[in-house]
Amino acid sequence: MNLPNYFLADLPPDAVLRPEMVAEACQTLKRNRERYLLPRSTDSVIQALVEVARLWVNPNSPWRAAAVAVDRSAPGFSPEMLGAGLDAYFRQWTPRALGSLVVQDLGHAQRLDRFVSNDAEMVQGTSAFVRGPDLLAHVTAGSLPTPVMTSILHGLLVRSAQFVKCASGTSRLSRLFAHSLREVEPKLAACLELAEWAGGESTLEAALFGEADCVVASGTDRTMEALRRVVPRRVRFLEHGHRVSAGYVAREVLGPYDEVRVLQAAAADVAAWDQLGCLSPHVIYVETGGLLPPETFAARLAEELGQLEAKLPRGPVSAETASAIFQRRDFYRVRAAASDGTRLWASPESTAWTVVYEADAQFQFSCLNRFIYVKAVDTLEDCLRLAEPIRGQWSTVGLAAAGLRVDELAQQFASWGVTRVCPLGRMQQPPLTWRHDGRPVLGDLVTWTNHERPPE
Amino acid sequence: MSDLLASFAERLLPVFREQCLWTSFSELALELFDAQRRSNATYRRFIEASGRSSAEVHRWEDIPAVPTVAFKELDLTALPVSERTRVFHSSGTTGHRPSRHYHGARSLPIYEASLKAGFDLGFWRGAKADGENGAPVGGWVPLSLTPPAAVVPHSSLVHMVDGLGSRQDRLGTRYLGRLSSEGRWELDLETTTSTLVETARSGRPMVVFGTAFNFVHLVEGLDRMGIGLQLPAGSRVMETGGYKGRSREWEKRELRLAIARCLGLEPGQIVGEYGMSELSSQAYEQPVVSGWKAADGVSRGFVFPPWARPLVISPETGTVAGEGEVGLLRILDLANVWSVMAVQTEDRAVQRGGAIELLGRASVAEPRGCSLMAA
Repeated sequence: MNLPNYFLADLPPDAVLRPEMVAEACQTLKRNRERYLLPRSTDSVIQALVEVARLWVNPNSPWRAAAVAVDRSAPGFSPEMLGAGLDAYFRQWTPRALGSLVVQDLGHAQRLDRFVSNDAEMVQGTSAFVRGPDLLAHVTAGSLPTPVMTSILHGLLVRSAQFVKCASGTSRLSRLFAHSLREVEPKLAACLELAEWAGGESTLEAALFGEADCVVASGTDRTMEALRRVVPRRVRFLEHGHRVSAGYVAREVLGPYDEVRVLQAAAADVAAWDQLGCLSPHVIYVETGGLLPPETFAARLAEELGQLEAKLPRGPVSAETASAIFQRRDFYRVRAAASDGTRLWASPESTAWTVVYEADAQFQFSCLNRFIYVKAVDTLEDCLRLAEPIRGQWSTVGLAAAGLRVDELAQQFASWGVTRVCPLGRMQQPPLTWRHDGRPVLGDLVTWTNHERPPE
Repeated sequence: MSDLLASFAERLLPVFREQCLWTSFSELALELFDAQRRSNATYRRFIEASGRSSAEVHRWEDIPAVPTVAFKELDLTALPVSERTRVFHSSGTTGHRPSRHYHGARSLPIYEASLKAGFDLGFWRGAKADGENGAPVGGWVPLSLTPPAAVVPHSSLVHMVDGLGSRQDRLGTRYLGRLSSEGRWELDLETTTSTLVETARSGRPMVVFGTAFNFVHLVEGLDRMGIGLQLPAGSRVMETGGYKGRSREWEKRELRLAIARCLGLEPGQIVGEYGMSELSSQAYEQPVVSGWKAADGVSRGFVFPPWARPLVISPETGTVAGEGEVGLLRILDLANVWSVMAVQTEDRAVQRGGAIELLGRASVAEPRGCSLMAA
């Protein structure tokens, strides 16, 4: 698909971005927002977003076809992974889900349109209205394509002009998405800009942050720290630093009724987006005492991953990543030679998938790209005690449990500090209403005006 | 069981004398693999843990290699505890557990024979001089920038330098380095300079041994003092890798030129050595390989002696990488009789004909908190 030069990210790779270009683009965006976006109602924005998603989920969609048309030998996701990931993602963009997000975060479906009161406010005799930032700047991490799209969706809902700064070499799918928005509603696309540069380009970033009212950034903790130093104080800075996730399988589902489903769910979570997102599991904890012992669970998970590889192949990895996987496999082979508490299963003649079983329940960071630890735990207390070093960083737990224990375990995880509990198998498919890092996503963007009406 | 190893060692000794293999490498390697698998329970468990079966091994290229990290975590030796009289440690990154390569009365003669034969074969060829095997006819003076062997008994490099020096000169190797109070290798610049000047005055060629890190210090020191030396004709420098995380990083080429400038040598008189405590044989840089130009324009590659063979392994497939493809260096060293012959390093490398181009260390991939190994 040949995309016209519309966004800055469409410029040829040798084009040099200058700070004035960034500043000018920001001013244009703000003008366009006044004219095209501010007058829109929430319902009409939702309608446009649903229309965009429809372009993507259509099996004959040229957008989807362009998105999955990748070079199979270059590092990145496989076409199958891209197709499956994008389908699952855009299917969530329904009017109901979008409406729920607004109500959940802002307490009323029309909160962005005018002063309104929900039940509690009516009792108090108050009403409230919210508005989004004039210009919202996004600094994206770029490991996955979908979080950028979600960020743009949030910005459109709160009627902000948006400038998306993509990490270098990662703008391809964001560009496709932006152009699909332009096809549906050119005026909405006129309130959006995309550009790509390497993080730390201080003059470009200064130009951008100088125009923005709010910066939403995701990436490594070091990137966040660097940004915190350069984002001006008057600008609202919302950061999403490094997070990790893990699965937890309770003993009651480790029996013949559930085990196949649970194993498939675990494999799906490891495979989703090649395990590269913050919501992908590094470790799957498996309780002891079930019919299926944790070590056997690991062996069966390896079989599942092997089968999944045929349907949903992992994309090629760089030589550095392959070396990291190669060396880490060797490390665990050595450990396995020294102790019965460690075993390793690995894809033959490729680095496509690796399962390391360890009796030691200490949390361990994976090198990702479908490299999963299975760790045996006696109780959730043991698991959490040993996960202390990552408390505050643990985003999602993919939970497989049954009966009363589902809520019990979820409560324990929540009290400890995990911010999302979902069924195993759905870790990489957070609903649109997901509170990223435990924060209301629209709620953090907007500013409220309360109206205490005079008594009648 | 270790009789198998002893008899293999017995048959290997003439190889070092003759500096060539009379039996095919493949045959010897497979025989040693079989003996090691039988004699070394830790190695056997490693092979099993890798999901490999010895029955699959028909070619020397298929012999399962232990990663260097295994020498940190396991006692990879067939020598009984009572026989382990020497141990060599990797220089290692500070804060990490070092590798342990055990030696004893039975393994040391093999190690010594290998390192000496390898030096005779590779070092002087790497920098042609005037003698029969390339070495200066009238002998040479051994000088080392490392601390002396008595101070660093676990350094395989210093052990090697010591052995080579004592064979060469009745006074043995002159050591110019010392150990700092924090255990770091450092140079006494004044002594070093005066020793170099004095030795040069005698007119005898010398060989200066040292790590890249030692030479960085020497060059910086000489530059600071404004001293330029002129080593006698036929002199050589043997520079070996290993300054990770210890000194400011120099480009290899930049360092070579600086050494040459400070010591009054041609860059071609500086020979790179590749060795590690986990091995018993070393590779020396040779001006080899037609049709390939290294990044610095000097086509030199590392060549192992006939009893050790390098393989470049593709990390993606775990199989031998093609000529010119970047992979991780694996070495099968027949002189590693009582430990494990096949060693997988973390060094990135490319096969160029019979030589190896080294590209530096792959980023360390040890998972966090893994120094606590259940043994």
